[in-house]
Amino acid sequence: MKPLRQPSVLPGFGLTFGFTTLFLSGIVLLPLAALVLMTASMPWSEFLRVITTPRAMGSYRLSFGASLLAASINLVFGFIIAWTLVRYEFPGRKIIDALIDMPFALPTAVSGIALTSVFAANGWIGRYLEPLGIHVAYTWIGVTVALTLIGMPFVVRSVQPALQEVQRDLEDAAETLGAGRFYVFRRIILPTVLPALLTGFTLAFARAVGEYGSVIFISGNIPMRTEITPLLIVIRLEEFDYRGAAALGFVMLVISFAMLLTINLLQAWGRRRLVATGH
Amino acid sequence: MSITLDQVTKRYQGVPVVNDVSIDIGDGEFFVLLGPSGSGKSTLLRAVAGLTGVDHGRISLHGRDVTHVPAQKRDVGLVFQNYALFRHMTIADNIEFALRVRRMRAAARRERRRELLRLVALEGMDERLPAQLSGGQQQRVAVARALAHKPEVLLLDEPFGALDAKIREELRRTIRQVQRELGITTVLVTHDQEEAFALADRIGVMNLGRLLEIGRPDELYTRPATRFVATFLGAANLLLARQTKSGVRFAASLTDGAAAEVAQGAREHEVVAVIRPEEIELAPQKSALASSYLAAGTVEEVAFTGALERLRIRLSNGATEAQLSRAPNSDGDALLEVTRSQYEQRAFGVTPGQAVAIGVRRIHVLPTPLSSFTAYAASLEQATALSLHPLLVELASRMRTRVSARITEEHGRITGAAVIAAGTDAMGKIEWLLQEGAEEVLVLPREAGPPQRVLIHWADDAARSTTLAVAASLLRHVAAEGVYIGILPTSTPDGQRPHSMRALLDARSEAQAVHGLEMRTELHFGDVAPELARRLAESPDQILILGISQITGLAARFNALLGSEARSPVLIVYHPQDARA
Repeated sequence: MKPLRQPSVLPGFGLTFGFTTLFLSGIVLLPLAALVLMTASMPWSEFLRVITTPRAMGSYRLSFGASLLAASINLVFGFIIAWTLVRYEFPGRKIIDALIDMPFALPTAVSGIALTSVFAANGWIGRYLEPLGIHVAYTWIGVTVALTLIGMPFVVRSVQPALQEVQRDLEDAAETLGAGRFYVFRRIILPTVLPALLTGFTLAFARAVGEYGSVIFISGNIPMRTEITPLLIVIRLEEFDYRGAAALGFVMLVISFAMLLTINLLQAWGRRRLVATGH
Repeated sequence: MSITLDQVTKRYQGVPVVNDVSIDIGDGEFFVLLGPSGSGKSTLLRAVAGLTGVDHGRISLHGRDVTHVPAQKRDVGLVFQNYALFRHMTIADNIEFALRVRRMRAAARRERRRELLRLVALEGMDERLPAQLSGGQQQRVAVARALAHKPEVLLLDEPFGALDAKIREELRRTIRQVQRELGITTVLVTHDQEEAFALADRIGVMNLGRLLEIGRPDELYTRPATRFVATFLGAANLLLARQTKSGVRFAASLTDGAAAEVAQGAREHEVVAVIRPEEIELAPQKSALASSYLAAGTVEEVAFTGALERLRIRLSNGATEAQLSRAPNSDGDALLEVTRSQYEQRAFGVTPGQAVAIGVRRIHVLPTPLSSFTAYAASLEQATALSLHPLLVELASRMRTRVSARITEEHGRITGAAVIAAGTDAMGKIEWLLQEGAEEVLVLPREAGPPQRVLIHWADDAARSTTLAVAASLLRHVAAEGVYIGILPTSTPDGQRPHSMRALLDARSEAQAVHGLEMRTELHFGDVAPELARRLAESPDQILILGISQITGLAARFNALLGSEARSPVLIVYHPQDARA
């Protein structure tokens, strides 16, 4: 067991620890506790009924399924974007690098409306996809597209610094030992950036699960098919069914927490392997 | 030959970082590339490994031309300064990396890994991660990993750079031992001369992308050919001296021929002499010296460093004139550096402020022709202004030599290279200087920077050897390419042309063999002066070295190059035809 206070060059442990506890309690834990309390005031049977209605089940499937899919897409393409930005010098690199952050800054409703107008049956891209039988707007594909957009910067920004740190020497060493490009990528680069990649994935996933603004415009919100859980919660609130809303929120909380915890544990395990004694 | 480099050149943005380097490294040889940072030694090593392409030249490993072969297929082992171990893999996986790539069976891999770990004395470390080992151990793993696939050559890029002194020495011994045991041809890159001496069979000294000299450590230390090698390999006092038939004469004294190796039949001329600090003897007065007397001096500093005592001594009676060890514009006077053994200290103890007689046991005279520069102009102000010309200042500081200023009409012995400004009266000045005994005259236009290309041409064949020697000396000090310009008059009958081509190739091989100078060659057709002027006009940042052996008719022949319209610096090398004695 480590002692609570470790000597440090920076003073003010007491003060900063106090702030940390205060903010965590006031801003994160207290509202969550309220949610749990509100749910707890429900009878068990009613709770089960509310959270297992077909409409609710459909919304979980969409929310978590589309979020996972979007985060996975971002894992691949975010890595490629980060790789391009780190490894190559080309005109306009700085501009593209700045553009990456746009989804952070844009009000999510704006991105939702913009996406809808582009992917609607008569939109710029939608009109070419429609004849092929691909309907983006008002389907689960549209939801995934919106979640991919808002999650992308998380992967790029997590992977970029890790890629910058991959020493060229490592690749050179592997090359002189006879390894081809793909082998170097698979055995040297990927394992080195994997923790950062996982962090990016987690952040993108968490953000996608909680996303509301951009999705409601492109999804069309058809119950059972394109209705996400956060929207269902809002609908319950508008019906003054506070307890129903709280129950759904609680379910989201539990599933999200379980998934994030799993990913974090995986990551911690990987990191321990990589930097055994902090080199 | 295990490794053969033939005129390897690598440029970054037009500037050569590796400049016409040719080396032959024998089987089982331990070769050390030594040079300051930025000298191109690491780039050259990476080129051998195949991690950097070359712009020009060829690289062969064991007779196989690998110039365009990728690193994966070159069969070399490379060790990096920062170990470059794969941190997410165990020591076993690191060492087996090359074997896994080659799809070797697990049992054979394990066998080879055991063997290698035994070789670098790290048995039982198989399952550790690199981060769990010390720096010295990590570098041992890196050596084992680089040897796993039994490469033909082992390349080491500053392998001890990140280690502290004690571990460095231990690892040095391990590497030497492993190299001997396996008999593997090894190239090590370092900036540390002590390391080079401890490890090398032969050393190649690099500076500014050029390979200056190659030789056994003791050869290079006792008989360097260049100022750079003399001062980079250990401490050295550089002094200007006059080489005469009877010995080497310093400003203040004459040391007899016994101390220095006198070049046979040499004319009396200015030379650069190297005196190692340990070759200097101190005594209370001149008569007590066992060696040749150099000068009198005053002890400025005494430092005790254990086995040796380091002294700095100010020369008196005018001998300071001769000293070059410091850059000419650095603050303070140059002091003579002396080291003495415990035995010498006991025999004659000195304290700061004490007057001593200085003797030298051994003097080495550098064969370099450009010993110093003297700027000539009509008045002393003009001469001083000329001596501050940026190109001249740059050259002098790189050559660690001195620029002095003198008035043209003043008669007196001309020492070193003369420098004048380009202009309408340049021709007259050149003729006067050459008649007065100058051997090199540098003609500077108003604006000129350090050259990127040195064009070499001799108008008279008698001047060939001297011109090549001067060109070699200049090229050792500037990061420029040497290009020999052969010019064939348009009127040459066709039957004569093969002869001219042969002369061109002869020039290149003489440059290489006698002066260690690598240069490219160009053949032009036309008249000499206009053709040279046209070639010089092609780009700025060029300098022409022009060898001649006749003064008469100089103006008529070369006015276009040296007159007021001259844009590029020209260094005239004069070798009188009758001087061959």
